[in-house]
Parts: sequence; C-alpha cells; structure tokens
Amino acid sequence: MKQENCQIFSMVMLRVLIGWHLLYEGLVKIIDPTWSASYYLTNVEGPLKSIFSGIPSIPFAIEAVNIINQWSLVFIGLSLILGLFSKVSSVSGALLLFMYYISNPPFVGVKELPYTEGNYLIVNKNLIEMAALLVLYFFPTGRIIGFDRFIKKNRK
Amino acid sequence: MSEKNGKGKNGISRRDILKGIATLPVLAYFGFRFHSQYESDILPFIEKGQTELPNFGYIKIPSVGYRASGDKIRLGIVGNGMRGAEVFRALGYATEGWLESNLQNGDINQNVKNFFGQENLNVEITGVCDTFSVRMEEAANIASSEVRSGGAKPQKRPILYSNYREMLSDNNLDAIVILTPDHWHAKMAIDAAKEGKHIYLEKPMCQTADEAKLLKGVIGQSGVVLQVGHQNRQQASYIMAKNVVESGLLGDISMIETYTFRNSSHGAWNRIIPEPASRDNINWREFLGDKRWHEFDLDRYFNWQKWFEYGTGPAGNQFTHEYDCVNQILNLGIPKRVSAVGGNFFYKDSRDIPDVLNCTFVYPDRGLTLTYNCTLKSSVQRDITFLGSEGAMQVNVALSVFADRESDKYKGKVPDFERPMYVYNPKKGQVDASTSATMKYYQERGFGYTYHNGHRIDATYLHMKEWLHCIRNKQQPSCNVDRGFEETITFYMANLAYLENRIVEWDEENQEII
Repeated sequence: MKQENCQIFSMVMLRVLIGWHLLYEGLVKIIDPTWSASYYLTNVEGPLKSIFSGIPSIPFAIEAVNIINQWSLVFIGLSLILGLFSKVSSVSGALLLFMYYISNPPFVGVKELPYTEGNYLIVNKNLIEMAALLVLYFFPTGRIIGFDRFIKKNRK
Repeated sequence: MSEKNGKGKNGISRRDILKGIATLPVLAYFGFRFHSQYESDILPFIEKGQTELPNFGYIKIPSVGYRASGDKIRLGIVGNGMRGAEVFRALGYATEGWLESNLQNGDINQNVKNFFGQENLNVEITGVCDTFSVRMEEAANIASSEVRSGGAKPQKRPILYSNYREMLSDNNLDAIVILTPDHWHAKMAIDAAKEGKHIYLEKPMCQTADEAKLLKGVIGQSGVVLQVGHQNRQQASYIMAKNVVESGLLGDISMIETYTFRNSSHGAWNRIIPEPASRDNINWREFLGDKRWHEFDLDRYFNWQKWFEYGTGPAGNQFTHEYDCVNQILNLGIPKRVSAVGGNFFYKDSRDIPDVLNCTFVYPDRGLTLTYNCTLKSSVQRDITFLGSEGAMQVNVALSVFADRESDKYKGKVPDFERPMYVYNPKKGQVDASTSATMKYYQERGFGYTYHNGHRIDATYLHMKEWLHCIRNKQQPSCNVDRGFEETITFYMANLAYLENRIVEWDEENQEII
C-alpha cells in the first residue's frame, strides 16, 4: 500500500474507532433509565466547579444536560463512523470531551472521583481523545472515505 | 448512472459510492454487537432487575421540613469538649477562627456553605458551663459570636456557671444540652428533668442499666422532651435501609455485622492535652462527681474515655452508634443474650478499656444475631452488613444490596452477583439499578453529614432541629428515652459480659440483667 493510502486508512480507522466509542457511550446512557449526569456534576472538581456543580439542583437544567449529552454522543458517534458531516462532529466531539476533561481534570490537588480507572497526571484519556478529534478536524477523511464524499460531489 | 466514464448525472462514480459507504459495514457490525450486548448484559439489569426492585423514590427526612416558628427556646450548654464546637455549629453558632480554617485558596469550602445554609433554629444560648474554665470562656465566645447561620442575629454573652446545678436553678433556660463525659449523663439529665428542662443528651444515654431505668422513670413522670444524640437517625441511607428490609428484598435476616475500625492514637482516645490546662483552671472535684477520689490527672480529665469509671469503653462509645443505626432499621430492642471477649493488647497505658473487642448479641425471637467487632489497630473500612437469605445489604452514608447467589428469588435475574443489584446514593438523590460494567457505585462513609434531595446537611443540625420541633409541638423525638434505654441496656450487657467474662442475659419480664 502506498504511504498516502496508509495515511488515509489509519485516519479513517481512528475516526471510526472514536465514533464507535462515543456511539456506545451515548446509547447506554439513553437505554439506562436511571442514568443522569447529576452525580458527575455534583462531584465536579477543578476550575469550573462553581458553574457545573449548581446544575443538578435545577431540574430543567439537569434534564437538558442529560438529553444534550446522550444525543450528542449518539449523533457524533454515528457521524464519525459514517463520515457524514465529519468535520462538524469532530470539533463538537472535541468540545464535549473538553467539557468532560475540565469538569474533572487530573490536576495536582484536584480530588478524583472514587473508583475511576487508571492513573493520570494532567493528561488523561479524555484529553487524548479530544486531541485525536482535533486532528480529524484538520485532516478530514469524510470526503475521501465517507458520506461527505457525496456532499462534496453534489456541491461541485 | 451514465454509461460515460462510469459516472452518474451528478458526477458520482461507482468508486465514489464504494468509498462513500466503505464504513457502513462497521455500523452494521456495531448494531449486531450492540444487540447481543443488550440482550445478554444490559437488558437483564434494566428490565428483569428493575421490575423485581421496588421504586422507593426520593427519601424524605422529616426533620428537613420542620419550621422553627413559635417561641424562642433558651438553651444551656453543659460541657464544651471535642463535640462542643460541632454542636454549637449545628445550633447555628460558629467562630471567625473556624471560618478561616475552612478557607481554600481564599474560597469558603463546602462545610461553610452547609453551615450558612442552615435555617435559624430560633434558639438563644443563655448559659454555658464547663469544668475547664478556658473551654467555658470559649463556649461563651462562640455563643455570642457574630458568625450565625440562617440570618440569625448575634446574641449577648451567656451567663457562665461554675456547675450545672447553678445553671438549672436559674430560671433563664428552657432546655439543656449535655455534652459531658459519660459518667455525668444520667445524673445531669435526671436533675434537669426534675427542674422541667428539656434535654438533648449526647450518646450513650447512660453509663449503666440502673441509671437508664432511673432516667426512663423520671422522664416519663416529668414529661420533658429528651433526645439522645444519635444524629444518624437523620441519615437518609438508614431511612432507605428500613424500606429495603421492609420490602423483603433481603429475605430472612440471620446476622447483622457492625464494626469499629480505627488505627490512630487519637482514635484510641489519646488526645492532645491543651496547653493551658492545669489544676488552677480545672474543677477536678466537679469532674469526678460521685466517682472515687483520684489525684488530679490531665490524662484522665481529657481522655476519660479510656476508663470504665468515666466512660463506657468501645461498646458504649462506638458500638452505640452502630447499634442505633441497626435499631432504627429493624426495631431490634434489647438482646436476650450477650457475649463479649477481647483485651487490651496495644495501648499499654493506665487505661482499663479493651482495644480489641468482639461482641455477639443474640435475638432468639427474631432469629438473628448482631455482632460487633472493634479494633483500634486497623482502619480497614467495613460497613454495617445485613445478611439475609435472599440478599445482603451494606449501609454507610450510601447503601448497596447484593443478591445471594443461592437465592431462588433472584435466580436467573442477576447477571453478576459480585456487583450490587441495587445502589442508593443519597448524594444523587435517587435510586439506581446497576446497569453496566462501567457503572460505578458510590460508597463513602460520611458520619456527620446526611443528604436530602442531593443537598448535604449536617445530621446533628437536623437532630437538634427535630428535638426543638418536638419541644414546641409536644411530640416524641426519634431517639427518645425508650430508644436510649434499649441502647444503654444493650451496650452495658456487653461491658458486663467482657468485664465479668460470662454470658449476660436480659430478663424481659422483670426488666433486669441476669
């Protein structure tokens, strides 16, 4: 395989894998009737604690956060797998992951939620996945392998 | 699609179509795997699991809704030791020093937020009393502090009494809060009841069974409201635990395990003796009360828990917390038989209490035993555990229910017996059915705070609030003299069993220990 093809293949693989992960996270949260971001937000640490930790006490706000979170994950996941509107979903996914990251960053002095897996210092998997989505935004592959190819053709 | 160049009218070739839908099979495979996962792992938890489990909804702690309307209640505080500042805060009084100690990077922490979130209990501390004059001054300073919760206004400095008898004889108080060493509890409470003063009494209610009988009789005659200081009566998780037991989720309960796990000198009651303490500022004779004379001893004064003469040992000091938690869930009452063994193996000072203690409380009528295992040389956490024929329940500030792998009730309905099938996390204010491998269950011990509708509240504040509400409305509080009587008789039987190296029995008919 030519190097260019290898690059395309690996970028598409990265896109599809992240899509798979986000789609499953979203679906599980939708199916689980008891899931709520409330516990996560109540235990927010770090710089945005004062903003996030107040959300669970406002019924409308927590309901909105739950729905946005669940369906954003599903749509971003689908979009990445299919390569449809993949630039928009890459940057939205990066933003979503940044919110997860900043609400509980592995900074020195910030208490971690109990029972979180892994050991991290400043960099955690949310941050890495966010960076990977930024790479996908700047090196879009949907127009090469994905439904974005049809949009491109239609615009021509 | 046009025949020319293999492209359609819109310029899309066969190659474009193949490249455009290349990842579609991944989505199809995802759908297939997700369906399998849903059938085998997720669905059993969500559907089968949930339909088996009753929905208890939100737990409401009654005292949260009480209002402190009506007359102001005038309080006298007796004793301002380690518990003093906590109880003052529960009543709505704090100090500038405490506020400063709770600053984090210039911001107030959750403790301060919780304090200022407390309602005004409509009380006034009119008198304070302590055998250590430095602590008595401190108590007066707190009581007249400008740092008040619920928008309450600062109050004038209370009267300082050299002993509680002078305080009781004064006509400027309605109720008394007793925070003294255990050997004074019964005497002070009886004297207060005879003077018609309502009583908040730190646990354990009394030091001995005889005292408990006497106090029960006096309270019954006097009609004053007595609340024993088991603030875990306000814990949301115990209210929930009662619901779980009563719904039959656990089946027949055969054993309840309770524990004390400490591994520090402080936890073994070797507390730091304050610098200015001396025979000049401590009323040693008043501290001893009716106990035999002993030369002035700062260790005995500040670390009185180490001697059965002034304290009640691990059974009275620690087990009573656990016992009252179990008693409010199961209404156990007094056991028929109690055994207790242990010893003092590690802290070789002049103490006479054990540092390792194993007690068994037998309830033949209920078909169960209650165990208490205490060590002051291990801090590994073990929660109160209810062992039932169908499932087990672990309770602390949260609650988890595990299905029994041999249970008929849960056969084929619980995919993983290692994981709790039911978790109550009061922080979240709702009930979870454990749904997936990524589900993290919340287990944290949180003496001191309870949770209501997701909000953290000081349990002692609520316990005080309930007591004051009962005084105003002539009602019985949740931990009244009857519950205190059961608590004292139960731990005292364990102390007797340990000290006399025998199995101690309770004669229900004659209300006597034999």
